[in-house]
Formats: sequence, structure tokens, C-alpha cells
Amino acid sequence: MEIIQIIVLGLGLGGVFALMGAGLSLVFGVMRIVNLAHPSLIIAGAFVAYWGFRMWGIDPLVMLPIAAVILAAIGVVLYKLFFEREAKSAKYSEMTVLLTFAVAMIVEGALGAMFSNTQRVTSPSYATDAFFIGDVFIPKGQLYAGIVSLAIIGGLALFLKYSRLGYAIRATTQNREAAALLGVNVNLVGIQSFAIGIALAGAAGALVSFVFSFFPAKHWEWIAVLMSLVVLGGMGSILGTVVAALGLSVIAAFVGAWIGSTWSTMTFFLALFLVLLFRPQGLFGEKPELV
Amino acid sequence: MSKPFLSVTDIVAGYGNGPAILDGARLEVEPGKVHCIIGPNGAGKSTLLKVIAGVLPIRKGEVIFKGERLNGLRPDQVLRRGIAFVPQERALFPKMTVRENLRMGGYILRDEKELQRRIDEILERFPILRERAEQHAGTMSGGQQQTLSMARTMILKPDVVMLDEPSLGLAPKVVREMFDIMRMMTERGVTILLVEQNAIMGLKNADVGVVLDLGRTLFEKPAAEVLTDPRIQELYLGGRKAA
Repeated sequence: MEIIQIIVLGLGLGGVFALMGAGLSLVFGVMRIVNLAHPSLIIAGAFVAYWGFRMWGIDPLVMLPIAAVILAAIGVVLYKLFFEREAKSAKYSEMTVLLTFAVAMIVEGALGAMFSNTQRVTSPSYATDAFFIGDVFIPKGQLYAGIVSLAIIGGLALFLKYSRLGYAIRATTQNREAAALLGVNVNLVGIQSFAIGIALAGAAGALVSFVFSFFPAKHWEWIAVLMSLVVLGGMGSILGTVVAALGLSVIAAFVGAWIGSTWSTMTFFLALFLVLLFRPQGLFGEKPELV
Repeated sequence: MSKPFLSVTDIVAGYGNGPAILDGARLEVEPGKVHCIIGPNGAGKSTLLKVIAGVLPIRKGEVIFKGERLNGLRPDQVLRRGIAFVPQERALFPKMTVRENLRMGGYILRDEKELQRRIDEILERFPILRERAEQHAGTMSGGQQQTLSMARTMILKPDVVMLDEPSLGLAPKVVREMFDIMRMMTERGVTILLVEQNAIMGLKNADVGVVLDLGRTLFEKPAAEVLTDPRIQELYLGGRKAA
């Protein structure tokens, strides 16, 4: 019974991590931007949900689309300010590491100045409630967050598979020059993908706001976790990120229960280390060329 | 005097801030004909196609298509005007199926029914693609990939198709199939601009030969004349007689 309990808790958190990593993966896949600012934008999304709940009593799940839209708009502004002019640089991906590091600092500073560095958590009634199936308890907050995350990712997958923009995004991810030759305005697709990626950060933030406590500097804890998911899944593969998030979260839950909670985060770092050592392309990524 | 179909005049172009690869290239393309561009390595043959396709910016000179100046247009804008480009590396989407790749070929078409009809038409014409319609393009052989990349351009029914070394790395039998596809295109009124490493084969399948050297056009004349020109035989065809 304990094993089932651990798996349930792991999957609940894994669903949220999957959404947190999906935007990061999409933005890297299409635009080759290693977005170290992604977790700080998730926290910005969490603050949107938090204040919606605190000031007007709006449920964070209702605030989710609002946070997504606000963050998408912020994403477009950030892209225009920081990334567009560098897009043709031969060292674009490398430059984006530094650029997004700076953006993360700016976002953290702005959030800290506006809301202080106090720990926050949104507390709708279900956040502290649970379902019981026999001896297994399922925290409602994690369950709802996990279900909503996977529903959003499912929607994203359908969108990428069947919509016209989805085709353009996938094509641009796989072969940017070919996409341009077939009539895709790759610059516009880049901006749209970035906006969608950051909207996913906003949506994840709304869920995070009642699953974890958060504060502006919390993103430093998350970036390594999210990078381990994206690298294990294969840089740019959303499916890979989801599989990695669910798998690693369950393993981390086992480590936390059987070895000690302080070691559970170590699972992600160890996975990152091992993947880079033995399978740098991750589960679903392409083998890097040896140049 | 009527407007030229596609004319390239005194083009100067290169990569980034590097030296000019093209330095005075020119071309007069006649509708419905196959123009084969030949020249030694580094002559600027592929660069010329990239310039026309809008992949590389033009530093000097101009490209005029049906009376409209194409300078400064993006590749998607050039395509919308009726010029399709199949680059050397085939430009497929390896993790998309054959059907999805064809769908991308008609990306700029907004009419879903018409797009579907054209995809079905292509699948009907190319049985190998129909058999593999749900297979990822990246898992196909080189010849099948080249067939797909050429067939994909036909979805839009362009006026001009530019092919950059379509036979590169393919077996002789498959190369013949590529030229068959090219012939099928010309029968439908498509104008072909061909850069071909196998100059003899390219010229034999062309109406007009264009000789490029050091980024300049040396001359354009009927392909049969280029094939028998002793200077060209010596310089670019390795002294081999065209059978």
C-alpha cells in the first residue's frame, strides 16, 4: 500500500513539473533559447494567481488562463527587448544563457521589490484537503494540479499536431531553413512559440501557487530540476519532458520516503549528471553531432 | 518588348560580412524551360539559387520576376510569388510523416479541401510516397527523401522550381528517377533552374546551359551547344565527350 501511496504522490507532483518543463522545452525546441528565466516567470505566474485569490477570492484554477495571458504578453515584450535583435547571431543559443540569466535576475528583483521575499502560498479549500481510497490518500491540490497540467499538455500536443500554427512550430523546430522555404514566417513563429512557452509558465505558476510555497528567489531551486527534466527528456521534446517529469518525480518520491526527504531533490541532479554522461541526447532527443 | 520572365542582373552577394561569392552573376530565364547552371566548385551556383530564393541578401544588382523586384523579400514571400527552392540538403522534416511533409509543402494554401486534394494527387502520382505516407521522412532512403522533397514542391504548383544538386549522393538508377520527376514538372509548364554536379547529365536534360565561374556568368546558350563547346568540355566536363 505504501508503494501505491508513493507513486500517487509522485505522479501528482510530476504532472506539475511536466507543465513547468513543457514551456522550457518548447522555447528551446523552436528558438534554441535556453531559458534560465523560465522558473522566475513561473513564480510571476504564481504571484498573479496569488493576488487574484488574495484580493478578489478568485480560485487559482480560474486565474490560470489569466496568468497565462498576462505572462504571454510579458513573454512577447521580453522577446522584443532581449532576444529579437540577437536572433541572427551565430552564438545565439550560448548568448541566450547569459541573457536569460539576466532576465531571471531582473524578474526576481522586480517581484521582490513589488511583493517582498516572504514565503507565500495560495490556499483554496482543496489545497489542504484529500481524497481517501482505502488507506491511500490523494491530496486534492496535487491531484487537481496534476490533472490540469496533463490536460494542458494534452491540449498543447493536439494543437501542435493538428493546427496550422502547430505544423509551423514543429516544422521550425525540426528544420528552420526548410520551414522558411515553404512559406513559414519563422520569425513570427518564433515569437508565437516564445509567447506560448511563457504562457505555459504562467499556467504552471497558477498551479504551483497552491502546491508549493513560493517566493521570488525560489526559481533558483527549480531551474536545476527543470533542466534535468528537459535534458533527460531530450532538449526540445515535450513528450520527453513529460515522461521525464513523471518518472523522476516518482523516483524522487521513493527516495524521499525510503532514504530521506533531503535526498529527494538529489534524484533530479543525479539524473542530470548521468544523462549528460551516458546519453546526452536524452530519451527522445537526437544524438548530437560530433563536430 | 515583353517583360522577362525571371531575370537576374549583375548580382553581388555573399555570406554574412564575408567576401562576395557572386560578383556580376546574371541570368535570363525563359518560361517552361530547364536551365542548367554549371561551373567549377566555388563558382557560386548554389549561392545564386539562394539569392533568388531570398535566403541570402543581395548586396548589388536585382532579381526581377514577372516584372516584380524580388530584392529584400524573405523566402516565404518569394515562394508566395511562385518560386520554389529545393536545397542540396533536401530540407525535409525528419520527424514528420510523408503526409505531413506534403502538407507543409502547401503551408501557404489556406483552402484545406484544396490542399487535401493536391496531397492526394501527389500520393496518387508517386506510389512510393503513398506506400510510406505515414512513415517519418527521416527514416526513408536518400532517393525516397529526394522524391519527397521534389514532389512536395508540386503541391503549390509553382511557376519556377529551383533544384540544387538533386542527384547528390544518389545511385544512378535513382538519379534517372529524379530527372524523370523533373521532366514531369516541365510537362506541367514548370520552369526549372537546376544546379547539377553531374554537368553532362544536367545539360542533357536541359534546354539552356548557364556557365558560371568565380561568381560571374560567362555565358548562357542552348544546352546542346554548351555540351559540345570545346572550352567547356575542357574546363568543366573533364574533357569527356558527351555521348
